[in-house]
Amino acid sequence: MLRLASGHGYMLPLREGRRQAASEAMAPRHTASEDAMERAPAAANPDELRPVFEAEHISKSFGGTQALSDVSLTLYPGEIHALLGENGAGKSTLIKIMTGLQQPDAGELRIAGEDVRINSSQDAQRLGVAAIYQEPMIFPDLSVAENIFIGHTDRGAIVDRRAMERDARATLDRLGVSLDVGEPARGLTLAEQQTVEIAKAISLDVRVLIMDEPTASLSAHEVRQLFRIVTNLRQQGVAVCFISHRMEEVFEIADRVTILRDGRWISTQPRAEVTVASAIHGMVGREVVELFKRNRHEPGPVRLSVKNLHREGVFDGITFDLRAGEVLGFAGLVGARRTDVGLALFGIAPADAGEVELEGRDVHIENPRQAMELGIAYSTEDRRQLGLIMPMTIAENISLPSLPRFLGPGGFIDFAEEVSTAERFRKRLAIRSNSVETPAGSLSGGNQQKVLISKWLETNPKVLIVDEPTRGIDVGAKVEVHQLIDDLAAEGMAVIIISSDLPEVLAMSDRILVMREGRQMAIFAHGEATQEKVLSAAMGQSGDLFPDGSAAAAVAAELDRLVQGKGLEAGQ
Amino acid sequence: MGRLLKRLRSWEGLLLVILLVVLAYNILRVPNFLTITNQINLFQLGIEKAIVVLVMAFIIINGEIDLSVASMMGLAAAIVAVLYQNGTPMPLAILAALAVGAAFGLMNGYFVAKLGITSLAVTLAGYIGFRGLARMLVEDNSVGDFPEWFNRLGQQGLIGPVTLSILIYIVLAIVAALVLNRTGFGRTTYVVGNSAKVARFSGVSVERNKMILFTLSGFIAALAGVLYAARLGAVRSSTAEGFELDIITVVLLGGVSIFGGVGTMLGVLLSTYLVLNLRNGLVIAGVTGNTQTGIIGLLLILSVLLPNMAAAARSRLKRRSESAAATRAPTGAGSGAGTATG
Repeated sequence: MLRLASGHGYMLPLREGRRQAASEAMAPRHTASEDAMERAPAAANPDELRPVFEAEHISKSFGGTQALSDVSLTLYPGEIHALLGENGAGKSTLIKIMTGLQQPDAGELRIAGEDVRINSSQDAQRLGVAAIYQEPMIFPDLSVAENIFIGHTDRGAIVDRRAMERDARATLDRLGVSLDVGEPARGLTLAEQQTVEIAKAISLDVRVLIMDEPTASLSAHEVRQLFRIVTNLRQQGVAVCFISHRMEEVFEIADRVTILRDGRWISTQPRAEVTVASAIHGMVGREVVELFKRNRHEPGPVRLSVKNLHREGVFDGITFDLRAGEVLGFAGLVGARRTDVGLALFGIAPADAGEVELEGRDVHIENPRQAMELGIAYSTEDRRQLGLIMPMTIAENISLPSLPRFLGPGGFIDFAEEVSTAERFRKRLAIRSNSVETPAGSLSGGNQQKVLISKWLETNPKVLIVDEPTRGIDVGAKVEVHQLIDDLAAEGMAVIIISSDLPEVLAMSDRILVMREGRQMAIFAHGEATQEKVLSAAMGQSGDLFPDGSAAAAVAAELDRLVQGKGLEAGQ
Repeated sequence: MGRLLKRLRSWEGLLLVILLVVLAYNILRVPNFLTITNQINLFQLGIEKAIVVLVMAFIIINGEIDLSVASMMGLAAAIVAVLYQNGTPMPLAILAALAVGAAFGLMNGYFVAKLGITSLAVTLAGYIGFRGLARMLVEDNSVGDFPEWFNRLGQQGLIGPVTLSILIYIVLAIVAALVLNRTGFGRTTYVVGNSAKVARFSGVSVERNKMILFTLSGFIAALAGVLYAARLGAVRSSTAEGFELDIITVVLLGGVSIFGGVGTMLGVLLSTYLVLNLRNGLVIAGVTGNTQTGIIGLLLILSVLLPNMAAAARSRLKRRSESAAATRAPTGAGSGAGTATG
């Protein structure tokens, strides 16, 4: 029997059919495209399929947070391996470790059976591991050919432009695309830039190509083109590690699927053995502990009514009502554009079209000042860069948005009033610091979050939008923030909570609006929302990417059923 | 007491110590150094720069720079001179110069705040453009023959030996200190200098703050230019050339961070007085003008280096103690660094 699975844990070996497919896929390299392949195949004997990349028992923690614990991943030459997981499942950390951007605390990395240490992205490049991201890293002023060969240091001191362009063309030919290699990269579309990145990797003899959400900003046509390229690479024996939040894509292209959850390895299976329901279940299958018990009550009249809110190229068709005393959760995966809706309602990046009614009155929100005057407050997800002035004191931070209220004649600040206001919030929100004249930067994340919320409460908002209010704060502070949101709702505040923490949104919200790539996918009431349903909606395709009758179309249909609450039992 | 000690350990404290040393030297070497007349003469020599320093402190704390102030001084002086020469009554000529200063300042502010062009580029253009206008107006001439009262205002005491310029400086210094420390505008200036993004996300009008500051900068520079013309009694196309660097030097030496957000009016006033005394002392010691400039340059380098090195060392220590906790946060660490006064 072939040695297919690595020696630890539970990992399904490749099945007969899959192995054959892989062998066949490798076969043409020795015949038709012999000249295109400069590198000898990873396994000289096509029957002996050895992993090209192994990560074993990888653990990594940041401060007190365990980002990865005992995660393993094995990639074979000529396979497309999808990595699935929710926000914070550990996918990004794993990629960073694979490409040398971060070092594991424990565990081993092997390339073609040999133990390696990947200390930098240069190391990774040398070892044939490359990653491309949603936003390609392209030098706009250099030509396509120069971009492809930017990483090469072995081409001599003098650039032979003609030879370089010839080689660039040959590399692109291998991918089955044609671009004008002499043109500056500036004019390329995003998809073409990605192609250049892939060509760059190929030119460096890549053996493992990691693609982190490469399709998120591509049109349907471009996605299909990218898939052709990726399939081409598979044919040439490259191992492709593919990360996508689009379930259809995963089912369309992957050979095997690895699921991560909360930094742990859950399963690795051939695609044929994975169903949509089982994948969703794997991603959210944690025990449901009631995170926080809300005091539910009947919400009041509609306070904010949003219809078909649209911002070109960002989000579209956002429609909801928010009532006094109600908490509306915004759920979705990274790139769902939930924050952008918040920014539009706060006037930072205003909407292009759509209607917003505040307490029955039509409003057009153009800038933050105006939003504040209307009674909309937005507490940012990015405390450090956008939320607080770290070197300034708690009191100075809390008074900031409502500073005009603290000014007496001549524009002089009423310092006593400023301090006593801050003191009031310090007591009410239990901000732990010696005084309100402590710099915000010296507080813990949780206390900074409380200062951030305080500064918005001081503006007396009618609608409070809190974006990732508990990200990066400890459990105790988390409960306090949840309690505060519950109290505010009880007092009649209309609250929007944007959170990537699925259990949090489920526990805190009266209703949950699920977004996916700028589109509103569903609104669930608290009673009907489950992790599976929300995630299914968040991973569903928002456009018609694949033709009817394809495997992907079936996946989309299955996701639809899951959103309706049917077919969940299939995942057990 | 503890607070006083902390004050002394701050940048302002260090400046005070250096100032006392320089003062002691001057007092020992120069008879009657501490007399009012001598002190007034001391101030009078750099009073126009000292006035512009006040507004430059705001600009730099706000996170911007204005390289066009000296050219603006020259242009304002040229406007006054040429208008008067061509028959415009002096008060009207002065008003015109001040109005031009405010208008060009507003223009700088518009480019920086509304169009988002970096102030370094915008005011560099002003530096060249305003000087060019002054040259067009004055050409290679020296324009003088101002009315007698105008020259007297520039050169002689108004209240006792205190000149108009010094009087204006005293009033402006007090106003500047009050505005920066105690008003909403001053607070906003610090906030924007620390983080224009946080300011924007807090509903603060960053644009308005910057527009006002640049307009003020143009206006005050024009005022200083007019006073300079009155003191010299004649205007050339090169009047006030190179002053912007002296002005920025004093502000930075005063502990204002070139990155914005940090600095006090006390520090700026101390450094103004220090530089005046230092130049005076160096003259007494027989040090040539070029060497004087070198020494002040050295002080400036130290003033920029020391606080940054201290902050870097501090944040390195902090990072070590916090270990990897900071890297966990998606936005990364590192705010708060580079903002210490020393």
